[in-house]
Order: sequence, then C-alpha cells, then structure tokens
Amino acid sequence: MESEAPAEAGQQDAVGHHALEVSGVSKAYGPTVALEHADLSLQAGRVLALLGENGAGKSTLVRILSGVVSPDTGEMMVHAAPYKPRSITEARGSQVATAFQELSLVPNLSVAQNLLLPRLAKSTLGLVSRRQVLTRGEEILSRHGLSRIDPDLEVSQLPLSDRQRIEIARAIENAGRVLILDEPTAALAETDWIFEQIIKARQRGVAILYISHRLAEVREICTSATVLRNGRSIATVGLEQATDGDIFEMMVGHRVDTTRQVAPKSARDPKPRVQVSDLQGEALNGVSFEINQGEVLGVAALEGQGQRALFRCLAGLTAAQGGTVQIDGKIAGYRSPRQAMHFASGVSYLPEERKTEGILTGLTAATNIVLPFLPRIAKMGFISARSEEATARRAAETVEMDKRYLSFDIADLSGGNQQKALMGRTLASGAQTLLLFDPTRGVDVGTKESIYTAIRQFAEAGGSVLFYSSELPEIVQLADRCLVLYDGRIAREFSGDDIAEHRLIAAMVGHSETEAA
Amino acid sequence: MTFSKDSTQDRSAFAQTGDARGVARVSRETINAIAVAVICIALLLGARFINPALGSWSQVETVLVLGSFLVVLSFGQGLVILTGGLDLSLPAVITLGGIMATNWIGMTDPTAWYLLPVVLLACAGVGLVSAIGIVWLRVPPFIMTLAMSIIVLSALLGYTRGSPRGGSPDAATALMKSSVLGLPSVIVFVIGFVIVGWLFQSRSVAGRYLYAIGTNLDAARIAGVPVVLMQMVPYVISAVCAGIVGIMLVGYSNGATLRMGDDYLLPSIAAVVIGGSSILGGRGTFLGTVGGALLLTTLGTIISAIGLQIGLRTIIEGLIVLTALLLLREELFQKLGSLWR
Repeated sequence: MESEAPAEAGQQDAVGHHALEVSGVSKAYGPTVALEHADLSLQAGRVLALLGENGAGKSTLVRILSGVVSPDTGEMMVHAAPYKPRSITEARGSQVATAFQELSLVPNLSVAQNLLLPRLAKSTLGLVSRRQVLTRGEEILSRHGLSRIDPDLEVSQLPLSDRQRIEIARAIENAGRVLILDEPTAALAETDWIFEQIIKARQRGVAILYISHRLAEVREICTSATVLRNGRSIATVGLEQATDGDIFEMMVGHRVDTTRQVAPKSARDPKPRVQVSDLQGEALNGVSFEINQGEVLGVAALEGQGQRALFRCLAGLTAAQGGTVQIDGKIAGYRSPRQAMHFASGVSYLPEERKTEGILTGLTAATNIVLPFLPRIAKMGFISARSEEATARRAAETVEMDKRYLSFDIADLSGGNQQKALMGRTLASGAQTLLLFDPTRGVDVGTKESIYTAIRQFAEAGGSVLFYSSELPEIVQLADRCLVLYDGRIAREFSGDDIAEHRLIAAMVGHSETEAA
Repeated sequence: MTFSKDSTQDRSAFAQTGDARGVARVSRETINAIAVAVICIALLLGARFINPALGSWSQVETVLVLGSFLVVLSFGQGLVILTGGLDLSLPAVITLGGIMATNWIGMTDPTAWYLLPVVLLACAGVGLVSAIGIVWLRVPPFIMTLAMSIIVLSALLGYTRGSPRGGSPDAATALMKSSVLGLPSVIVFVIGFVIVGWLFQSRSVAGRYLYAIGTNLDAARIAGVPVVLMQMVPYVISAVCAGIVGIMLVGYSNGATLRMGDDYLLPSIAAVVIGGSSILGGRGTFLGTVGGALLLTTLGTIISAIGLQIGLRTIIEGLIVLTALLLLREELFQKLGSLWR
C-alpha cells in the first residue's frame, strides 16, 4: 500500500483527487435524527476508514451514499459533479456501488444471475440467455478470485461467507469510481481475499470507503479514518499517527481500557453442567466435550467446520443424528428452543443471524428482550407495561444498553444496539447454559467490552457459556478453555494460557499434529 | 494525531449537547385508531345533512347493534391475520353456528341455553381442523380455510336438506332483543367482548406470542415462543367467534339460512385492514379493528338509508379495502421487499 506514495505527486489527477465529497449531510427519520452533520472526503485510489460506535450514524451515511435514502440536507459531489442518487441503480449510474452488511442478494437466483442483476444477458430473442449469463458470471467470478464458486448455484445454497464474497464482488464490478464496503469482513474469517480485491480496485483509481469495527484490519488496509460520533463526523485522522486509544476515545468520547484481562482462574470444583458425547449430525462427525459450571468455553473454527450445526443442535433447533447431550446429568431430549430453555437448568441460544433469526421487527426493544420469559413476568397470563419495562431495563443494564432505546421499534436501532438487546435477552432468560454464536458480531469496541463483562459476570455466578467467535482475540480474551473444530470434529483443545492466536490458527487450518509436537 | 479540521471546537460544543437525537414517537396504530374514530363520528354527524333521521341516538344504537356482529367476527379474523394467515371459512362457520342453534337447539329445546357452548365447541372443532391442516400439513391458509368452508357448507346443506328450520334459542333472543340499563344487552355484551379481546391481544402473554409469530416466525421459535400451538390458536378462536356471530344472527332475525354468513367475509377482512393492521401480519391492534368494524357498519347504514342497492354497498366496501391497502402501501412494499431479499 505504501508503495504508491511516491507516485502520488506525479499522478495528481489519477490518485488523490477528490472522488467523493460529502458536506453537511443529515438525515432524520421522523423525530429520530440518525445523522446530524457528516462531512467526508474520498480520494481516488485511496482507502478511507469510517469508524464509529453502533448508532453513530454509519449505516445511515452508507444508505445515503448508496442511494437507498435521500439526505435531508447537505451536498454530495462525485468527480466534481453533483451527486443525488434516488436509488441504488442511480448510484451505480454514477459508478458508486456498495457491498451491504445486510447482504442484498436474491436468495433464489443463481450466483451468476445475482452478479449480473439488474441487466441479465439477452439472447437473440430478447429473452434472458442462461448460457450467456453463466459465462459472464463465470468471468466475473474469476476476475475476483472466486472461480471455485459454481455460477449456476442458487445463492441460498452458499455459506454466509461466500454470499458476502459475492456481494463484494458484485459491488466492485459496478464501482468505477467509488466503492463502499460496509463491514465486508463480518462473515469472513480471513482478510487475504478481500484485501487483494481492494488493492486491485485501488489500482484502478477507485476510491474506497471501508467500514469495519476491527481496528487491526482497518490499520492494515486504510491510511486515514473519519470518525463518526452521535451522528456527527468528529474528525479525520491519519492512522499512522493515531494510537488505538486515541481512536477509541474519539469514537466513544472517553478512553477505553483495552488491556487484556486474563480470564480469572479461580480454583472451582469442576462440576460438569453440559456433557456432549459423540454428537453426530449434519456437518458433525462425533463431537464430545464437557462444559463445567462457571466455565466459558470458546469454539474456534474456520467457516463451515460444523460450529453452526453444533450450536443449532444444542439449542434444540435441529435434531442430532447420533450421540447424546446431557444437561445436569439428564439426557437432553428437547426438540425446540422453548423446551431447551426449560430443560433442567435451561439452555438459551443467541442466534447467528441477527436480522432473520434474532430481532422481531415491529415490536419494541423491550418486548424483544422479555419475549423468552414472558410467562415469568406475567400475572395470570397478562403482562403489565410497567413490569415489562422494568424487566427489560434490568436486562439492558447488564449489557450497558441505553434504556431510552427500550421503547423504540427494534428495527429502528443500530445493529450494535440490536445485538445488545438480544444479548441482554439471552442473559436474562434465566438459563444456566448460554450458547452464544458470535456474540459481538458487527459490534463496536465499547459494546464489546460491556458484552465481555456481562459474559464474565454470568460465568462467575456459576453459569456455563459456550461461545463461537470469528474473532480470535475475543476467544483469547474470554475463554477459560477453547475447542478447535475442524471438519465436524474437535481437532484440538486448549486451556488457560495455552489459548493463543497462533496456536488456534494452526489448529484451525488442520495443523494440529505439528503444533502439538 | 492530526485532525483534518478544527475539531476541538466541534468536540467541546458536542460535549455540551450530548446525543441530541430525538426520542419521542407516536405509534402509527394510535394515529390510525384516532383517525378511524374521527371519520366514524364525522360520518354519523354528516349523515344528518342527507337525512335528518340519521345521526340521532337511536341511529347510533342501530349502528352499534349491527356493528356488534362485525366486531366479534373481526376479532378472530384479526388474530389470524396477525399471525400472517387468513380465515376464509368464517361464513361457513357462522352458518354452522346459526343452523346448529336453530335446527338443533331451536327444534328440540329452545330453553336449553347450556347447549350453546356445545355449538361453539363444534365450531372450534372446524377451526382446529383448519389449524392442523395449516400448521402441521402446511397447506396455505386460504386454501385450507376455503376447503373447510366448502366441506362445512356442503355438510349443512345435506343436514338441512336445503331448508333450515326451527327458531332462535331463548338465550340468543334474549341477547339480541332485551335491554340492560336502558341499553340493548348486545351492546353491553360487545363492550365486554371488546375489553376482553383487547386485553388478550395487547396485554396477554399469548397475544405477545401472536405478534412475535406474525413478525418473524424463525426468530419467534428461537426466542422460545411455542410456535406450533400459537399458530393454531387464532384459527380456533376465529371459528368460535364466527360461531358466536351465527348465534347472534339467529337471535336477531329468529332463524337461520344457508347463506346467512356470506355478507361477512369481506367486511371481516376490511375491518381489520382499515383498523391499521398489516395484512401480512405482525402489526395492528384490536381497538383499531373495532373502529374499522364500526366505520364499515356506519357506512353500510348510511348507504342503505340513502337507498343505494346492496350491490353498490359491496362495491364501496371493496374500494375501501383497496384504498386502505394503498395507504399502507409503503409498509406493504417494505415487507414484500424483505421477503424478497
């Protein structure tokens, strides 16, 4: 990336000239002001990071830039021409394209069709030509290093990570001038592919806006960053000069303690709470492990190694094809999340896909939080608004969620606050075993800390936690023990100080033997 | 670190204001319910200009009595719609309730009020069969309820040999014809019904579950909602409501016909939609539906008072449903969009 610095002076109009200028943009949804005042400047051939806490207005800014919504005030210029897109297609007309965090692919169309939408290749009769669509889809895939993906496959058949890659590839294909990547690595376990694509796009002179919560990743690919806080752009900083602490401070308004706390290793009696033996199922080839009371057990794995199946099976969503699960010594025969919640000391699940499996849009955040344990707060089958709110507020406090959000429709909250609400709900369910699938996915630093603290407190009170994370530092920071899944089996198990990123990575890619030596 | 512009000033100014972004929101349902009530009253008062006899207290009473059928019926329909379904078997179940009340109770022992729950139980059975077909066998709701409707009506045709006989059971007549505290008893009954219905839909655990199911079935299941049971409940309640309406109609007109429920299907859906519920489920309140039912009834009374034909009335109702749907379009398209994605 740095290699381009000398060339910069000579190619003033190719690299470094203003590709996208945003000034004073604001957007309100009714009385809710999502974005108060944002300034932003993107230069051709450069990557700018957009940083901010959940709810800072990042998503709204992205939606404005992509043409999904129109700003109430402010001006935007692309290559010195006024830019007022009224739809995603119009934005594309100005060669501005976005890879959305909440993917925008059509699940029941093929990969190739999705890549070419909205203009599918026509045959001589003016109808869509399947063969041409496939050929062109294949071309696009190979251009972006994805030739391993079958262009004829229905998108819904692909794992989440590949769907995200397709989304990104399609955006790059349409982004002649400006490329917006909203949390492009949220579902990707490694960054090699995406960085390669970004560098290629930069070389074409595309200006890139990169939105991510992972600061290490941002430092690797971006040179400067614009920080949003509470709907305003606070500052643009050069990433080389700013420390992590500086940036966090700008994001949250106060300093964040980022020192790693070593997981407490008090001498507990290892009383097993969950015993899994030889669990078989779709993508699971015999998994056995135990979770003790008061223990936080991490699961590390590359994508698609059976972690999803493991969690869904333990949560009661899918039936195991073999093996047993015991909770508190009783063989678990539950067949739904509801039964799981009430089985023995209870099992509660935080789902992977927040949007489709987690939140209930149209209901308030408070209702979303109390839903799993409504009967507990009800009197004779009826709920008073007061007890609902009080219970939700207590749950919100455990994850440091601002209580004024409780009366909002959960769909109007930012992704991070939705995640906090769901996390608060899982913690408050009363279950003694929590299954957390990527509990901090798409969540900012401040929120992460509060979620970690909540998980730790839960474990210290005797609860058991099984959590999967796509971010290894999280496992290192949080887990008492860690399982590494590979191909539906437990490849390695680490505990205590042995949990280190390099060891986990080695085991995750299947090098367990060499590492063990 | 370097700031691209003078940010210190920005930041200190910001520290004072904090997060100034707004909070207050009035729910769309509330606005809708108020709007419907206002239109309703305006219509009644406005009707005086057409005909001085309209808009009087006795006119209001008539509207409430006639509207009581629709209020009870659209409670059930509203619950079904809330979970994303649709109940097309209401006319058949109304007829079932009506004919059981006349041909069975009316013919054997009109004083046997204790047999009325049995009638409702039979109606609940029809709803249960629909529910099983929809939830377990995954038959689309409109096909399943339409099929049930044909089966029930055909069975009734066979049972009555085409001509229902018998009069109204005493209890039904008492409900529709007597008065309490100077008000027709049925109005008192419906007020009670509305309170119970509102409590159930908006304040009960079961009601919350129905909303959750209507918004996102997968998320509801993960959140521990008993989705199988709670998807079935609305169809049973809906059938019971239809049974009640059948009995009420019998009490009102002292007899049953094989087509007595026909006029109520579209209004039952219209009342729910006008009341601000989403036809795709997950949104709406029973009070809104009550407003919708009364508005439709008011319109119906005015139309017949003016002397328009019944056909015109149906056309107007159809147009109202379409207009209501168009007004809710933004939301409709959003939901369709999210399904598409």
